[in-house]
Amino acid sequence: MSPDSEVPYIEAIKAALQDAMRADETIVLLGQDISAGFPFGATRGLAQLFGEERVRDTPISEAATMGCGIGAAMTGTRTVVEVDFAGFLLLGLDQLVNNAAKLRYMSGGQLRVPLVVRVGQGPFGSFAAQHSQSQHAWLAAVPGLALCAPSTAQDAYDLLRWALRAGDPVVFAEDMRLYRRRGPLRRAAREGAEHVGESAPPARLSALDVQEDVPRARVARTGRDATAVCYGFGTTIATQAAAELSAQGIELEVLDLRLLSPLDEAAIGESARHTGRVLCLGDDPLLGGITGTLAAAVEERAHGELSAPVARLGARHVPTPFGSREAFVYPSAESIVRAVHRLVAWPAPAQAQELEIEHGELRMAPG
Amino acid sequence: MSTETSSRVSPLDLYARMALIRRFEQAAYRAYERNEIEGTVHSSIGQEGVAVGVAFGLRESDRMLSHHRGHGHALAKGVDPRRLMAELFGRATGVSSGKGGSMHATDLSCGFLGSLAVVGSSVPLAVGVGLAARRAGEGAVCAVYFGDGAVNQGIVYESINLASIWSLPVLFVCENNSYAITTPAERVTAGEGIAARAATFGVGTLSVDGQDAQAVREATERLADDARAGRPGLLECHTYRFLGHSRSDPAHGTYRAREEVERWHERDPLTLLRLGAGLAAESCEELEHEAQTRIEDALQFARDSPRPSLEDLEKDVWG
Repeated sequence: MSPDSEVPYIEAIKAALQDAMRADETIVLLGQDISAGFPFGATRGLAQLFGEERVRDTPISEAATMGCGIGAAMTGTRTVVEVDFAGFLLLGLDQLVNNAAKLRYMSGGQLRVPLVVRVGQGPFGSFAAQHSQSQHAWLAAVPGLALCAPSTAQDAYDLLRWALRAGDPVVFAEDMRLYRRRGPLRRAAREGAEHVGESAPPARLSALDVQEDVPRARVARTGRDATAVCYGFGTTIATQAAAELSAQGIELEVLDLRLLSPLDEAAIGESARHTGRVLCLGDDPLLGGITGTLAAAVEERAHGELSAPVARLGARHVPTPFGSREAFVYPSAESIVRAVHRLVAWPAPAQAQELEIEHGELRMAPG
Repeated sequence: MSTETSSRVSPLDLYARMALIRRFEQAAYRAYERNEIEGTVHSSIGQEGVAVGVAFGLRESDRMLSHHRGHGHALAKGVDPRRLMAELFGRATGVSSGKGGSMHATDLSCGFLGSLAVVGSSVPLAVGVGLAARRAGEGAVCAVYFGDGAVNQGIVYESINLASIWSLPVLFVCENNSYAITTPAERVTAGEGIAARAATFGVGTLSVDGQDAQAVREATERLADDARAGRPGLLECHTYRFLGHSRSDPAHGTYRAREEVERWHERDPLTLLRLGAGLAAESCEELEHEAQTRIEDALQFARDSPRPSLEDLEKDVWG
């Protein structure tokens, strides 16, 4: 793979796993069907490269697999647990929340859990309500976990490499709608790539006391009229909406959060003060969803400088429906365009109410 | 394989450690009644034979994971009673900096990886610890405790299965004290019990009298040696807690008959060892006295120690 070639998001994830496993020989992958790379190909070929000792197919025992990953991580074997679909994460959630997130704290800092949990999020492939979910707000609310939500192939690579150097647990939320989307990828220089596979002597764990900076949010597109605060697939559709809006003379800034925990509130405040009109975009329902936290950050950091009340766009308050109708309950480029029109036209409360009735996922504070 | 442990263990060593645990638990219980300890305490009085038998059957380099009733396990593995008592008191000098409390003591310096309070949830961690130990070529076993109340948690069987298919150095230890809080084990557990269930996963199993510390130690050595060689094991120890589950239930009169409790008191692990090993009464009294002195010192240390600062409470979360 040459630098800067265009690759699918899923291939960027595989590249990050491969490069990280070369650099840090303690890394072990655990998950169902991972030696075959089923179902999306993120681990295809890695068992051949690194051996079955490091790429371990697990039984369908999500809870014990998560716990095993935690136990290995806390005693020197950095571990990646793969959970194909969001719904199955719930089986491992006790281990993730009660153990991975809390062991460092409860042990007074003696234990560290350098665990990465890769989990597919969002609606994809018509798999219906149990496979397709968005759990960002739940996961971001747990002290002791970091939550990545990369939006591009490059970010999938960079954030996963970062997560695999972090000293504490990271949930790596992969929006399944992005898996086949292509983007440029530049891989990091390979560190210590001499030994590969089972014959290699076990290497030290990457030092946990050398903490790298948490990646900051990035402005994916600059604009003067309004800001879309977004992550993951939301960045893709916000960018599409921005192109359409630009043709109409409205310049939308797209702030890609990259991580939802820790949350780059400073970047949110900065963009909100710059444009004065903010749409917070999420994939979970508005009640208890991540957009509530984002909107609060906008208010707290830019209240006096807003030209319109902060707006939120999320999923409808329904389980993900079966079939191609799944896309209808999640935000789209079209619903973003409509929401930004409302923001830019503010004040026009009657119209806003009408929109709220028509599209239950959009909320704007009453004027 | 087990000469390292056998050669250094005498019945007096076992007795001394059991006495230390007994005195610690008595002191902690009284401190709790005086409101010096917040939250709750789960006393292991009556179960000292298991704690000491297992810990002395392991090597010092072996690891251990425990559950909510874990003070005895920690002390048996070598945790300093001063720092454990300080942890129960919620003091910054505690093994977990006062942020874990009675149910979450950890001391990596002696391989005591911690206690977890969700029943059965420490069991899969041991599988991962075994995996890491084998990858690092350490030859260390991880022993993990759970009670008869945990044997109906699915994750226990998921974990035994994983350890078995991957041939990991893990020793599962079930402390069967016959009650999950107030619920008798036989009322909620079908079939032949945990050892029979575990045997179907292809791991080695032994059931022993948990009141007999020497029997527990010997069984632990056997199973730990097998685990080191790649065959995980399960040790079931029949035992009894002399007090209630926590302070909220009495030792007898509700779900346990007085006669039953008294019958088990006749099988006190300290008395059984003293008589069984023919220990001199004076030697035992001396060890009891030493234990009492250490525990009084531990109590004073805990009382004199500061609580964690607000700054401490924000440390060790992430990053």
